[in-house]
Amino acid sequence: MDFTFSFTSFLSFLVAFTLAPLFMGVILKVKAFFGGKQGPPWLIKYYTLIKLLRKGSVYSTSTTFIFKLGPIISFVTAFMLLLFFPFAGLPPVLSFHGDVVVLFYLLGLGRFFTVLAALDTASPFEGMGAAREVFFSALAEATIFVILALFFRLSGSLSFAEYFSGDQFVNLWSQSAALIFLVLIALFIVLLTENSRVPVDDPATHLELTMIHEVMILDHSGPDLALIEMGAFCKMLFYSAFISCLLYPFHTGSALYNVLVFNIIMALIYAGVGLVESITARYKMDMVPNFILTSFALVFFATILTMEFVQ
Amino acid sequence: MIHISNIFLALILLSVLLSLRSNRLMALVKLMAFQGIIVSAVPLVLDTAHGLTFNLIMFFLLLILVKGLVIPGMMSIAVNKVVASREIEPIIGYHASLFAGLIMIIFSVYITNHLNLASLPASHKLLLVTGITTMGAGLILLMARRKAITQVIGYLMMENGIYLIGTALAKEVHTQYVVEFAVLLDLLVAVLVMGIVLNDINHTFDDVDTALLGQLKD
Amino acid sequence: MNIFFLALLLIGVGGTQALATFRLYSLMKAGAVLAIIAGCSFGAYDAAARLLQHAEPVIYNHSWLHIFTFSLKIDAVSAFFLVPVFAIPAVGALYSFQYLHDAKRAAGTAINYFFYALLIISMALVVCANNLISFALAWELMSVSSFFLVIYDVHKKATRGAGYIYFIFTQAGALFIFAGFGFLYSHTGTFGFEALASIPDSAKLIAFILILIGCGSKAGIMPLHIWLPYAHPAAPSHVSAVMSGVMIKMGIYGIVRFYLLLEPTSVVFGQIVIVLGISSGILGVVYAIGKQDIKKMLAYSSVENIGIILLGLGVGMLGAASGNKTMAAFGFAGGLLHVFNHSIFKSLLFMGAGSVLHQTKTGASNELGGLMKTMPVTGRSLLIGSISISGLPPFNGFISEFLIYYGAIHGLSLHGASFVLSALAIIALAVIGALAGAAFTKFIGVIFLGEPRTDKAAKASEAGILMGTALSVLAASCLIIGVWPYHFVQAAFLVTQAIPLVSDYTTAEFMPLMTNISRTAALFILLFIIVTVLRKIFYIGKEVTKSGTWGCGFTQPTVRMQYTGTSYADSIVDFFRPFIRVQKNYSGINKIFPGKTTYSSHTHDTSEIGLNIFVVRPVLYLLSKLRWIQHGNIQLYIGYIVLAIVVMLIFL
Repeated sequence: MDFTFSFTSFLSFLVAFTLAPLFMGVILKVKAFFGGKQGPPWLIKYYTLIKLLRKGSVYSTSTTFIFKLGPIISFVTAFMLLLFFPFAGLPPVLSFHGDVVVLFYLLGLGRFFTVLAALDTASPFEGMGAAREVFFSALAEATIFVILALFFRLSGSLSFAEYFSGDQFVNLWSQSAALIFLVLIALFIVLLTENSRVPVDDPATHLELTMIHEVMILDHSGPDLALIEMGAFCKMLFYSAFISCLLYPFHTGSALYNVLVFNIIMALIYAGVGLVESITARYKMDMVPNFILTSFALVFFATILTMEFVQ
Repeated sequence: MIHISNIFLALILLSVLLSLRSNRLMALVKLMAFQGIIVSAVPLVLDTAHGLTFNLIMFFLLLILVKGLVIPGMMSIAVNKVVASREIEPIIGYHASLFAGLIMIIFSVYITNHLNLASLPASHKLLLVTGITTMGAGLILLMARRKAITQVIGYLMMENGIYLIGTALAKEVHTQYVVEFAVLLDLLVAVLVMGIVLNDINHTFDDVDTALLGQLKD
Repeated sequence: MNIFFLALLLIGVGGTQALATFRLYSLMKAGAVLAIIAGCSFGAYDAAARLLQHAEPVIYNHSWLHIFTFSLKIDAVSAFFLVPVFAIPAVGALYSFQYLHDAKRAAGTAINYFFYALLIISMALVVCANNLISFALAWELMSVSSFFLVIYDVHKKATRGAGYIYFIFTQAGALFIFAGFGFLYSHTGTFGFEALASIPDSAKLIAFILILIGCGSKAGIMPLHIWLPYAHPAAPSHVSAVMSGVMIKMGIYGIVRFYLLLEPTSVVFGQIVIVLGISSGILGVVYAIGKQDIKKMLAYSSVENIGIILLGLGVGMLGAASGNKTMAAFGFAGGLLHVFNHSIFKSLLFMGAGSVLHQTKTGASNELGGLMKTMPVTGRSLLIGSISISGLPPFNGFISEFLIYYGAIHGLSLHGASFVLSALAIIALAVIGALAGAAFTKFIGVIFLGEPRTDKAAKASEAGILMGTALSVLAASCLIIGVWPYHFVQAAFLVTQAIPLVSDYTTAEFMPLMTNISRTAALFILLFIIVTVLRKIFYIGKEVTKSGTWGCGFTQPTVRMQYTGTSYADSIVDFFRPFIRVQKNYSGINKIFPGKTTYSSHTHDTSEIGLNIFVVRPVLYLLSKLRWIQHGNIQLYIGYIVLAIVVMLIFL
């Protein structure tokens, strides 16, 4: 395991971890702009976290220890994602060949416990959210692993640090731009699915029609909810960083310039998510698998094209 | 180095995929407009393109106009006037259509690799794959949807695919003829759409009543 | 081989003494259990020692009447399979002491122990068999003894039906194996294994396919798996655990052994196995999601895991035929390690399900709920089993799936159909893993979490201490293998050295991978502990209260309003519609005033429907045409006998 515990990598990780709630404010501001409103303050998510940490909790009598395990495990797995990701072209804190598979399966562990915590409450709402979550994530997993297979075919590497460095790097500005273009669209769809944004799920409501992620955490409160929220911010940061590293080659150029460009692109991606949330309506639940399968078909197309494209 | 032609072909494949899964007629019409413009512009951005005479450019502009404006315009008139419900009625379902599209792309890569045409330049290989995929997807749309207008759309996609295959296999000097044939085929599509509008055809058959069909054998 | 025979002897003694002392119920059980555990411990220790010390293969021959030689050989492959063959039934025996508690059925219990011992012995012999005859004999012995184990509850009609289906499938599978053996004999002229590598390539393919079908029906490959969801629920739970954990792996052993003996060079072998792995894996887990009977769910999940094992083996075979060392080594190692891992967590799950069945007297998950509070040991062990079977770190299921992923990903550098199949294998593994997560969150969520849906669940209490110990031992091993996988992976790689391409494989490639995974698992546990402590700190001085679950303003929530397993599975089952048929019976509302309405839904296995339409009905039709032979007239029957004698005298 490459334990590049250099100051820069640790610093970049800390900065990313701290900025995760700030970027979420971008989405809210963009949505407010489209609604002709001023919107909540930029630091709203920080205030939310502090508020939650100050509160106590109410636990349901139906729940067991699993209800308390859920938030912890979902936060730890999302946190570990950030430890392995190269932000702005700087090396990540940890990295090894094959870490991508381990990390996505850790995300799966987080999802497993979130779903169990939801089923623990004996509430039909949370059961409904859990059922939908496991279904849609199964389809999204297919897309993600085809992306990993495609990246291996293009670059021969199996680690986040290796994808975006070296001469076989994976990027829109490389040889296989057309394929990466398809991957970007698919990855954006996966981002919307995994982080429960419109058109897959509406994070602003807790009603039956829009319930996937928000409803699974309905009964959590206080510091438990703070852990869950922070884990969700970290996950969103990870997917956005993944897309932004595909958009611009960060492994060349000066570090400061890269950091600046990285943060601008991240803000643009979050703004893009806000844009999509403002102009599209949430899909009928039946059409969501269709939506996710489109992303799968796109990357599968791209992978098949490497058969004659990249010899 | 980004090859513009590869981006264009990726966009065509994207439009093929989106058309297989879309369930709204107007979305499909807009998609066909997008696909038409990109397909018409492909020969211009290919590496092997040269010798742009005035005639050729006029033909390309005409093609882009027809594929991007005229035909989609007529189709949207047909959709607004004739068709009662805006939902596409699938015979084999959207998930199955997507999987059929995936199988089609594997098939087209297989054919391209096995044809092993020595005279085919490397950049034309992806073009050939895209062409066969588009043609196959058009065939799937043609066979797997109930509404008459979607069958015309399927035919239009098949025609786009054949155009791409022709561009891939044609030597440079023949590009002009390929473009002219494309314009002719588009006129045929225009006639089909006019037919739907004038005769108020909504479904291919009013009833899928096989008992009545059986009487045809006499 | 002395310890091996000692182990078999002890086990056999344990089983036979049960028959002799069946009237003294507890004593009989104790004697059988102790003897079996002792024998199994010796056997497992011997096998593990042989494997890890790179011991030379030992051979034992015993010729019988100069007709055939009964030959046994323990090499690396056999030793690897011997470890679960001995270890899992030992835990099962410990479990069975309290599980079989009905003293009125002493004779039945004694017979059960006898055939249990016989099953262990026959499985050990299958794994060590060194020629065609020994393999066939041991295989038949295994099938017969497991049949008698399945029909323990012979007074129940469902069990008799299940036993019948199981018997037919075993015998049909054995027929295919014998056909394969006969084919091999016709080419080599001997019963021994050594000559098999030198038969022509087309013959190798035919023989492999015949043996694949025969062993596949034992292993539970789709569509030959139909007996699994009948036999496993019908058998008592410790038997289901051994059958699902170890016996179906005998089918995998047959495939692996004959693949190694035939030494094929064509890619077709790997391609066929990968395709079978994809279909068994995905459809198996979809059926597991669709069924709501606890043991049926677990039976279908076994089909899914056999699919994963086949994916690993297929990737390995494809790699070996294409000359890709990494793919061959990792694929095979992953498949073999999954054999071992699955035996641990599947037996854990079946025994846990047995505990639940034992305490609540119902096997329908839609009637259970909230058992985590009343059955804590069972609940926690099954939680660990569920996380392991979903292939999630830091437990053992992830390690074997990672190895298979690694092998398949390295297969992406191949061309043509092999590339497409490697990509499909990766996709299939990802989808299977996610769907297994769905199936087992349903398993734990519906049975152990929430509120009890019926009185049976509300009144349950924890199962006996021996049953709990058995479960805890298996759960602990899942965690240990997940966090310190190195030696187990090394054992799997030692076995892959039997493949000629990979015979010089060193630890250099897999050691850093496994060390890194170990460290990541340790990091995860460390972070988990830190965050738990942090959370406790945040909760100091905060107000924590308890209340009922929020019902969206609805003031009369009942336990029936919870999500059931059927509702949880609904959208996934609907997605796979052509492969899994759902039949819904709704009585409809046909009264003006509220009256009784009923609704039931059943999922049907498409393979069973297909078997019915394409095999059962035509065969029955043909045989009904021959019904006229049995007319009951004794004189004509005598005439048949005379006719047969005359024909035999003339022609033979």
